[in-house]
Amino acid sequence: MSQSTQPETDSTDTDTGGLFTNWVDSAIANPKKVYRAMFATVAIFFLFTTLFPLYWLTMIAFSDGSRVSEGVGLLPTGFDPSSFIEIFQQVPFHLYMFNSLVFATLTTIFVLLIASLAGYAFGRLQFRGKRPMMLAVLVISFFPPAAFFIPLFQLFNQQISFLGITPPELYSTPGGVVIPLSAVFLPLAIFILTTFYGQIPDGLEDAARIEGTTRLGALFRVIVPLSAPGVATAGILTFIAVYNEFFFSFLMTGAAAQDWAPIVDGIISYRSQFQVRYDLMAAASIVAVLPVATLVVIAQEKIVSGLTSGALKE
Amino acid sequence: MATIELEHIRKEYGTDIAIEDLNLDIEDGEFITLVGPSGCGKSTTIETIAGLTKPTSGTVSIGERDVTKLPPKDRGIAMVFQNIALFPHKDVYDNISFGLQLRKFDEAEIDKRVEKAADTVQLNGMLDRMPSEMSGGQRQRVAIARAIVRQPDAFLMDEPLANLDAELRVHMRTQLQRIHDELDTTIVYVTHDQAQAMTMSDRIAVIDDGDLQQFAPPLECYNEPANLFVAGFIGSPAMNFIEGHLTAQGFESDAGYLDVEFDPSTVDAAVGQDVVLGARPEHVLPSDTATGDVTAQIDTYTDVTEPMGKEIFVYLVTDQGATVDMEDPGASGQLLMSVGPAADVGEDEPLSVVFDKSNLHLFDADSEVALAHGLSEPATVDGSEDTPASADD
Repeated sequence: MSQSTQPETDSTDTDTGGLFTNWVDSAIANPKKVYRAMFATVAIFFLFTTLFPLYWLTMIAFSDGSRVSEGVGLLPTGFDPSSFIEIFQQVPFHLYMFNSLVFATLTTIFVLLIASLAGYAFGRLQFRGKRPMMLAVLVISFFPPAAFFIPLFQLFNQQISFLGITPPELYSTPGGVVIPLSAVFLPLAIFILTTFYGQIPDGLEDAARIEGTTRLGALFRVIVPLSAPGVATAGILTFIAVYNEFFFSFLMTGAAAQDWAPIVDGIISYRSQFQVRYDLMAAASIVAVLPVATLVVIAQEKIVSGLTSGALKE
Repeated sequence: MATIELEHIRKEYGTDIAIEDLNLDIEDGEFITLVGPSGCGKSTTIETIAGLTKPTSGTVSIGERDVTKLPPKDRGIAMVFQNIALFPHKDVYDNISFGLQLRKFDEAEIDKRVEKAADTVQLNGMLDRMPSEMSGGQRQRVAIARAIVRQPDAFLMDEPLANLDAELRVHMRTQLQRIHDELDTTIVYVTHDQAQAMTMSDRIAVIDDGDLQQFAPPLECYNEPANLFVAGFIGSPAMNFIEGHLTAQGFESDAGYLDVEFDPSTVDAAVGQDVVLGARPEHVLPSDTATGDVTAQIDTYTDVTEPMGKEIFVYLVTDQGATVDMEDPGASGQLLMSVGPAADVGEDEPLSVVFDKSNLHLFDADSEVALAHGLSEPATVDGSEDTPASADD
């Protein structure tokens, strides 16, 4: 990928030797020029690596479906926007998206709630065993989630009982995805929120408690609003991670939309016995990106406004 | 309005004892100041009253109601903090009305009360500002408005003026007194600034090392300090202390330069016992201008003078050229004298001084408890003529 930018600069080097020498001379006199050039190079590289796949996807999505399997280049083969409608006609893709959004939303709510309580305790209270407990959270976060899969799968299918109780069947329900994923993404959120909550001055919490809140009230009325950037960060990271998550959401649910199958199942279902509709897959992927992209744009404004209002300035 | 009562309060942090055994009886409508050096336990005390800190043992009562186990919100108190602690994400109106909104007051009542509180602290027209847009003094006024709007039984103020600049501090001091006069509510005030303690309070509680040293009106603490600590802490600059012992004739200093004649039977101490004599700088007088009942002359040399405008502080040494031990200036014969601005005192000159006997203090050297205030014959306890302002004339 980087090669495509490289030849360009090379060619300018060799073709206009005089210009280049001049540029080097002026760069020595004015070193800021070099920083600008380096910035441009790096920025172009990153923009290319992030935006090219998106272009590629869009290009395939708009290509003529029947000709995609012949092979694709850098330019679309034909123009056929109908695949954006066809994705909803072939399978109920909106339902798959709904399922994934439900997983992501529920998990985010759970994670933020529990991580807020944990973050409050770790960030603001002094108690014996705080460090070992934080370490334990850290260690658990290092476990590969796949290691939990088999026992959880058996548990959610009611094949084993836990403490003598057989849980309700969670397989193919949001619970089967949301519960393990909440556990998987909790440690990161706990660490982010611990840092943020720990920075809120004690006086503010004391003031809230004197004014009439409980400790919990002070947490949700004062500490959480003042930590908005941190809460937004933890929330977005969790939301995106769960929305994109493949392993649990694929295996803990059935293949049909009514069995709580996630987006991946929807995209896979454009592959039939006789043909693979790459154009539909690409179109579906683009549609699937939209909710997350919207969320990030909205939340980013929130983060920026949180930072600029001087919320943390005493 | 309420009384506040602390009984046998003890607070330990791990192995550290912050408060030893504190008893305080604060009357309804009183303005009480807790003073003491940093780390003496005064902030812990006010946090214990607020309920932000749970005492290890003992009981706290507010308005004759045992609140030891109640959370802060149910104690009927309001607090103003040293770091002001306004909620930065709420505007002034929401900051002031925060407690009322939590208590589900109806809109009209909240409006009315916020309006009135803002009026009291002169914040009208600023209700929609954010705390970050205000100056330090304005923020502190918002904090005070937030405290008074709930009409609590008692106010707790933890060094509320410490973060303000000197001019504003004096201004806010008068405002606070005005607010106290207006509301007539019990106020417990914590400070390490004795100017605030002296000027504002009905009574001062002097605390050192987790122990209550004296609990009395400001001038009583000044004129009749209960022990060496209070004598040294209240009053600026600090009292001169001279170590010595009791003789049949009175007091004799260990360094030998000072004898004070009085009848030792008037004090509760045996002849030969080690005692400490205390004399405030304004009660050290140049002998040529001194009148009344004074001690014998002491020959000293002036060391350093500090003209303050309305008075001059003169450091005296009993031996010319003697090196003064910084840690214990009294032991090496250094005395601090305060004289009027008109006095003609140069540096490194011989000067004989006397002590005003009626304003000398005698302390037991071991227990540090005061033995006598005023060593005139007969030993009287008279504080009417020595206010801190009337130095010597």
